[in-house]
Amino acid sequence: MKSSRTLGLVMIAPAAIMIVLFFLMPVVLTAVFSMTNMTTATGISGGAYQIAPSSLNTLKSVMPDIAYEMAEPRYAIDEAGLKAVEGLGLAPGIAAELRAKHAGEVFPTRREAERMLKDLAERPSTREVKQISEQFNRSIVNTRFDSKGQLFSALDTLGLKLTPEQKETVARASYTGWTWTTDNFSRIATSPDMARVLFNTALYVALVLTLFNVGYALLLAIWTHYMPPRPASIFRGIWLLPRITPVVIYILLWKWLAWDSGFISVLMGKFGYPAKNYLLDTAYNAWFFVVLINGFIGASMGMLVFSSAMKAIPKSQFYASEVDGASRWQQIRYIILPQMRWPILFVTCYQTLSLLASFNEILLATNGGPGNTTEVWALAAYHTALRNYAGNLEYGLGAAMALVLVVIGVTLSLLYLRVFNYRTLVAKPLIED
Amino acid sequence: MTILPTLKSLTIAAAILASTSVLALARDVTISVWAGGTGPNDVYRLDAIEIAAQQLQREAALKGEDLKITVEKKPYSGWDDFKQALTLAAEAKKAPNIVASGHEDIAPWSQAGLIVPIEDHVDLDAWPLNGIYENLLQIASYNGTVYGVPQDAESRPMFFWKPYMKAIGYSDADLDALPQNVQDGKYTMKSLLEDAKKMQDKGLVQPGYGFYPRPSNGPDYWQFYTSFGGTMEENGKLVFDKAAMTRTYQFFADAVKLGVTKKNHIGMPGDQWWKEVATGKAGIWDAGTWHYARLVNQEGLKDFFDNIVFTLIPAGEGGKPNTLTHPLVYMLTAGHSDEDTQIAAQLITIASEPRINALHAIKSAHLGISKAEAEVDFYADDRWAREATERLLPHANAMPNNSDFGTYWNIMWKNLQASWTGDKTVDAAIGDAESELKSTLGDKILIR
Repeated sequence: MKSSRTLGLVMIAPAAIMIVLFFLMPVVLTAVFSMTNMTTATGISGGAYQIAPSSLNTLKSVMPDIAYEMAEPRYAIDEAGLKAVEGLGLAPGIAAELRAKHAGEVFPTRREAERMLKDLAERPSTREVKQISEQFNRSIVNTRFDSKGQLFSALDTLGLKLTPEQKETVARASYTGWTWTTDNFSRIATSPDMARVLFNTALYVALVLTLFNVGYALLLAIWTHYMPPRPASIFRGIWLLPRITPVVIYILLWKWLAWDSGFISVLMGKFGYPAKNYLLDTAYNAWFFVVLINGFIGASMGMLVFSSAMKAIPKSQFYASEVDGASRWQQIRYIILPQMRWPILFVTCYQTLSLLASFNEILLATNGGPGNTTEVWALAAYHTALRNYAGNLEYGLGAAMALVLVVIGVTLSLLYLRVFNYRTLVAKPLIED
Repeated sequence: MTILPTLKSLTIAAAILASTSVLALARDVTISVWAGGTGPNDVYRLDAIEIAAQQLQREAALKGEDLKITVEKKPYSGWDDFKQALTLAAEAKKAPNIVASGHEDIAPWSQAGLIVPIEDHVDLDAWPLNGIYENLLQIASYNGTVYGVPQDAESRPMFFWKPYMKAIGYSDADLDALPQNVQDGKYTMKSLLEDAKKMQDKGLVQPGYGFYPRPSNGPDYWQFYTSFGGTMEENGKLVFDKAAMTRTYQFFADAVKLGVTKKNHIGMPGDQWWKEVATGKAGIWDAGTWHYARLVNQEGLKDFFDNIVFTLIPAGEGGKPNTLTHPLVYMLTAGHSDEDTQIAAQLITIASEPRINALHAIKSAHLGISKAEAEVDFYADDRWAREATERLLPHANAMPNNSDFGTYWNIMWKNLQASWTGDKTVDAAIGDAESELKSTLGDKILIR
């Protein structure tokens, strides 16, 4: 018994690893990222300590004297630097000439120090100039330190008398990496645009789901149910086309239909209407196309599930009802629909979740336009986390938005299970116990 | 008799010695370079590095070194894919040695440690880098450090379709004087809307085609903000000038209300926009200097100067005529060996020489990076390069290198679009932008 249990665990291990890696980890990581202010600028893997002019500005208000002293340019030709130059293994004349002619000089910028170096008799190469100037660099402005310890020891070498608290303040002001924060959620909660995007998402899911993914799918399934088998399968095959066409091509077809120079414009032009971009003309138009584009893709899945579920209804029930004189509508009302509860639950639940997360069709068709009117939550999260003209991708905020989506998805699933009374649907037959 | 074997063994010894010394000096280096926004006209962004590699190999050979450089080139036609790919590759320590991208990337990329200061590896006082326009080199700096070498310069002028301007009453002399009138502030944004309306009223262009701006987000839209008196950054701090931004939003809302710009203009297919501006379907539009190459090479507009006059972006209320330069810069990425980075830096330096850089400038209709380049016959003989450099470059601003500028830009653009399409009133859009900027950037932005 015990060994079979161990064997069971071993056998399930690959699946468990896959679940953890590919299903659980992304959600956990999203949750972790969402609690940070991570962007391109802060990096993902962690930050460094860099006393940049911007951090000096911050420090100037807290500890002005020290900040000014840190900002001092320091390229000083001192003994320590000269010794280091001797150790570089360059032509010996360089260090000797430096000591003789320039010892004790201080240069305000690196460029000026390097200009002096280039004037030496044994003109060092560009690379050597950089190596030499580094030996005299007594400034920490713009130098990157990988750890706090390195920063603190550099501050010590600079001769600055700093208390541990002051050092911590410098470290905080100069840290370039990300920090833990809950700001993302307060931004989401307070932004008027986020409320609008949430409304867009609700509208999008509700319209596509009710009109197409469940409503129209059910209609198609019932239609084909009453058709002779051959035309029914041809019909179902045609409805599968939007699902199996590559999404880029599928959207391109819609664009050809609805662009200024597209089919609708050409057709309407015959009746004297000026050409226009029907897809993006108004918010209503954009929504009309977004719902159709997604609906035509989504309806096929529901149709297949519902058709096969209908096939599973015993034929005898239909025959009996016909003998009793039931109309088609009565058959649908009293035989088909009551037995379709489980497939409808499944399709509704599954499609809600996939619609909540889907955005590629909208991205390709309207990109959220015109004027953000078709921007849904998943698209907004994508735009935030992975698109920014100035290259600063906001991973933290994007992750927070994605996490909100996960929470909404889970909540809705639980709600569906309750509404459809899942327990009675999967109750064990009494006879088997 | 004894001398021969001695000679023989000496020869062998010398040969062995020679072969080992060659082996010791032989170096095979692969330098990878990626460039964003690189279409068929912009190939010299990458090819220039390859030309530079040949030059450096020859120089090395003369010094007795056997250096072999393989250049791996990767062009990206768009920007979004490129920036995603670059940042993620760099985070995964798989960044190319050289990257050519917009100067505004310097701030976030340097803060994240993805790029290293180029001034640590090149001699800015030596030719050709000492000849680069000082303002371009400033644009390539951040925190007082030079991070990139400008790869090109450009500008984003206003284009007018000459035949329509004539049809609404401009003489040839008026059109010749237009660039100067714009520069002097005599021809303003108001005049532009009026002319666009006249073109439509006369039936020269269809409704919505009078003023036909860039159909997607881009740096062009900051020019309008400047034109209406806005400032992007002051003393290292971002600035949101409410009054100037209101006038900017209002300008586009007015253009839509007047019917000279389409409400649904943003998001239209790029190819369609190109065709329309190249064939005279639109009256007035703003676009980049490099569009000249596309119009002439790909869109078949052979008689450019007969059909089009270009100027600075006219002044709006409270502002000045201006244009924006958005140079791409060559940057060195972190995480490579010092030797490789050194070679990459040398390649960038050679690629910046006037003749080599002029290949890119002329082929892609970008502008040159140095005065010496403007004096190269090949460059000066090109009418477009010459006129665009003289007329536009002295008035060019640039976007700030500030790691928070991207966030500011997103908020500005989102609300501009919303007021353009009538989704929000101008006041509501400004209010939303302000509150989001406050909650997002806090004291990193000055709101006034």
